Amino acid sequence: MAGKKSKSSDKSGNNKQKNEVVQDERLQAIVLTDSFETRFMPLTAVKPRCLLPLANVPLIEYTLEFLAKAGASEVYLMCASHADQINDYIEKSKWNMPWSPFRVSTIMSLESRSVGDAMRDLDNRGIITGDFILVSGDLVTNMEFDKALDFHRMKKSEDKDHIVTMCLSRASQFFRSRCHEPAVFILDKASDKCLYYQDIPLENSKLKNSIAIDPELLEGVDDFKIRNDLVDCHVDICSPHVPAIFQENFDYQFLRRDFVKGVLTSDLLKKSIYAFITEDYAARVESWQTYDAISQDFIARWCYPMVLNSNLLDDQTYSYESEHIYKEKDVVLAQSCKIGKCTGIGSGSKIGEGTSIENSVIGRNCHIKENIVIKDSFIWDNTTIGSDSVIEHALVASDVKIGSKVVVQDGCVIGFNVFIDDNMVIPVGTRLSETFVEKRVSQFLDSESYSDDEEVVSNGKSTNALPAVKLVGEAGVGYVYESDDAYDDDDSSVLDDGTNALTHRFDDMYLSDTSISSLSVKPKKKRRSSTSSATTFAGRDEEYYDDDNEDEDEEDFAAEAIATVERAMENNHDIDTALLELNTLRMSINVTYHEVRSATVVALLRRVYHFIATQTLGAKDAIQKVFGQWGPLFKRQAFDEEEYVDLANLILEKAVAQNFEKPEFIVFSALTFLYDEDILDEDAVDAWWNQVTDDPAYDQAKVLTAKWVEWLRTADEQSTSEEESEESDSE
Amino acid sequence: MSGDINVAVASFIDRLKRRQVYGSYQVSLETLQLLKRFVSAARWSGIDDLIAQLRELGTRLGKAQPTEFTCGNIIRRVLALIRDEVEDEAALQNQLRKTAEPMISSMFSLLQKPVVASSTSLSSSSSSSSSSPSDAAGSTGQQQHQQSSSSNEHPKADMRQIIIQGIKDLIDEITNIDDGIQQIAIDLIHDREILLTPTPDSKTVLKFLIKARERNNRNFTVLVTEGYPNNTQVAHQFAKKLSEHGVETTVIPDTAVFALMSRVGKVIIGAKTVFTNGGTISSTAGVSSVCECAREFKTPVFAVAGLYKLSPLYPFDIEKFVEVGGSQRVLPTMENHRVGNHNRLDTVNPIADYVPPENIDIYITNIGGFAPSFIYRVVWDNYKQQDVNLED
Repeated sequence: MAGKKSKSSDKSGNNKQKNEVVQDERLQAIVLTDSFETRFMPLTAVKPRCLLPLANVPLIEYTLEFLAKAGASEVYLMCASHADQINDYIEKSKWNMPWSPFRVSTIMSLESRSVGDAMRDLDNRGIITGDFILVSGDLVTNMEFDKALDFHRMKKSEDKDHIVTMCLSRASQFFRSRCHEPAVFILDKASDKCLYYQDIPLENSKLKNSIAIDPELLEGVDDFKIRNDLVDCHVDICSPHVPAIFQENFDYQFLRRDFVKGVLTSDLLKKSIYAFITEDYAARVESWQTYDAISQDFIARWCYPMVLNSNLLDDQTYSYESEHIYKEKDVVLAQSCKIGKCTGIGSGSKIGEGTSIENSVIGRNCHIKENIVIKDSFIWDNTTIGSDSVIEHALVASDVKIGSKVVVQDGCVIGFNVFIDDNMVIPVGTRLSETFVEKRVSQFLDSESYSDDEEVVSNGKSTNALPAVKLVGEAGVGYVYESDDAYDDDDSSVLDDGTNALTHRFDDMYLSDTSISSLSVKPKKKRRSSTSSATTFAGRDEEYYDDDNEDEDEEDFAAEAIATVERAMENNHDIDTALLELNTLRMSINVTYHEVRSATVVALLRRVYHFIATQTLGAKDAIQKVFGQWGPLFKRQAFDEEEYVDLANLILEKAVAQNFEKPEFIVFSALTFLYDEDILDEDAVDAWWNQVTDDPAYDQAKVLTAKWVEWLRTADEQSTSEEESEESDSE
Repeated sequence: MSGDINVAVASFIDRLKRRQVYGSYQVSLETLQLLKRFVSAARWSGIDDLIAQLRELGTRLGKAQPTEFTCGNIIRRVLALIRDEVEDEAALQNQLRKTAEPMISSMFSLLQKPVVASSTSLSSSSSSSSSSPSDAAGSTGQQQHQQSSSSNEHPKADMRQIIIQGIKDLIDEITNIDDGIQQIAIDLIHDREILLTPTPDSKTVLKFLIKARERNNRNFTVLVTEGYPNNTQVAHQFAKKLSEHGVETTVIPDTAVFALMSRVGKVIIGAKTVFTNGGTISSTAGVSSVCECAREFKTPVFAVAGLYKLSPLYPFDIEKFVEVGGSQRVLPTMENHRVGNHNRLDTVNPIADYVPPENIDIYITNIGGFAPSFIYRVVWDNYKQQDVNLED
């Protein structure tokens, strides 16, 4: 017994020591409550993003809960837009109570317009004393932070220049929440040191690029890995140098694109950044899309032990039932209503007879009447929905009134206090707000970076601020919020557009990494958009938009590809390089080989034309030179007879289009040359000739070829007959 | 009440919610420490006031983590302790007044309130008056009256001392719980027996097996089910520890239980909570099917549980008591690509299991072995009927 006692006293002694150590290392945390983006408009015109409820819990709670678990002792909230609201909220929350696990204070950084500004402000205030956690106010995670912190400390003891540990979580290609800021991390295989960072444009954006790595960066590295399967949820453990670096580089706006890349490529700084890769759930609520995805994941308990029935807010009373149904106290369900799987219902809500709800979250004190269908939707507090309405995959904010027999279609966002009259149909992707929300013109270099929520709210005095009577009905209240993304033409807005809708339609598009997967998705997208266009009368015409987009893609590709081939010819690249470039281009823009062939043919013919026009070479020599060197390209661009037929067609077509003096001769020599080089075979020529166009415009061009084909055919017959005779001879 | 204790309570609730405190043992000890502070800091006008405060505390703790039953159990134990104390004094006064109980009522109250051997010397037969549940409500007033009179004799500080001493005794009981269980355990395991345990996360089971090996030097084999997906790692560590202590150990997949059951001599499970009806919530999912298999083969099932795991609740709604864990264990987060509206893929991962009383043969507690059908007697030895529902 005595032994035991002494042991236990030893233990307590150890604990005390540990406690002291912990106290020495106060862990500070900086929460960036502003995203400096406008993805949640029009709702963020009224409320800051971090106070929007996800599964009936304000977003900031998830972040603070994470910090509490992580053992932070001081938390600073950097507030820019709606700072007063955030301040009020925090003052009243449990985090401000004496038993809060950390001290929380808000920092009014009202002038900040980007993450960079906020960091510089932080540096000016001199709050940071040691290593700190930098997170955004919209993080949802169940990450075990201790491990990350241990990793950070270990690396720090090994590497004195270590300034940031990025916590990244692994995800598959189709993971729903990995749509924003997709990026490639190049990591040292042995130490997980980040060597290079490159953000990559989204698959559906027009901006294409490749990654160029400075060989110097890879010096002294044995093995490295290139990964783009990481969800970057912006959880960083930073050393106090970080704000200072922002201060020195006053042009840094973004944490990753500017800062991480800048630090890694800088010759002067010589600082290093490590990546901690976790398998846990981590995601940021960055857009409607991720809002949707994370909300569903949260309800389906992917973020366990952070679940709805752990009642993050003190006054919540959720309890769990099978099939992921969560109900608070005092929910009134009619006898014949159906509550499907993955649903949460807040207290005081009433669900009427015959109503069916599935995969949705209903806020508090909602009044949902009879025979309503709610699927995949989010209904916030104090909303009334009239009988026989249908709401599918939409978001309805607080205090909204929806009349009876209203249909709210896929991807709609109904803003605060909107009133929709009876019998209205809200078409796909519409966003409504109570008052007119005017967009502010971006004042920054990067059009994506304009600040959240800074929009001027005017009370319908602006000229184009007419209430959307067509949508909300005569008695209704509501204005359409037109996302500026739809009109802007620059690339970043395309990026936004693809990812900033709640609709399913876009779900399919943005996730794919490879051309193969996007191919399979395409038909679906088209089908969807064509159905939607029938009902779209406000906003843009989807179908037109999509097609337009594709045409542009093809044109883009043609120009790019021709340029590529021409460059290859001029600089005398070898054929493999040219092929590789073409292939990359093809994959990235996602076009068929037909376009590739067409571009190659055009480029080659132009070259020929150039030789003839400048009289450096005769037609035949020119063809021989160009096709001799570059003809083998076609071998890798056409694989079966059909495609060779297509190739021959293209040569004919493009030769005519090129306005050669003697198209017939060009076509003839090109084809014979390809034939001689064994690129085209007889069968292909034969098949082509059988279906060649009868258009008189091509008649002239076909003259010589016709003879050649004729000759080929007879030769063929002869040879076969010869063969036959030989065979018979041998018999 | 002072702010200090409020802070302690609230931060404990937060820690419970955040699962920074988990596991019955840890939770029970921390709850007791908290109660000690609570009782020493609380101000109360009469004993009923204190009881009300404790009940309210119990409600709050219960809501913070509804599946950690030990919180509630501990508070109910302490409440019973206080009530017993009050009764004793009342009995003393009754004796003084010499108003003997009519024989017949004590006969009726036998079932509800068995005479407690462990209760203090004074109580015995005379304590039955206020404890019969039928007049529980009525007795409160009576108690109040008695208490007010008794509080004159016993100053508050004295009562406080008694309660704190009681809490300390409870702490001792819980910290030494394994010894009690081991005493009984040793005789239960025979030489060359094959045991199966589906609850590798139970420390009590681990110590029980190791003790049986060390003290009696018996050779026996233990089969450990893997407990996929929540407990696999724990199971492996459990098996390693056992083998380090010279116990023949085999890790088997959960799926092999039925096939191997015919060779198993005993199934040993660790209980997380034992309900009044003799049913139990085990700490691992899959235990229920193991017990079902055992029944099929007539293999005896031993449930090991400390007294503090006994709960006076009745499992009316099993679904409420079985916690559902994270989906990422079943399907890695990597694979979670349920896109858009075509997600028909659902995952459910219960982390506990309810075993009905008919599938358990005997409970081994630190005060002895009991049949499941006898558990209710043990429960009413330790708890008071009026505290079953802490909410008013």
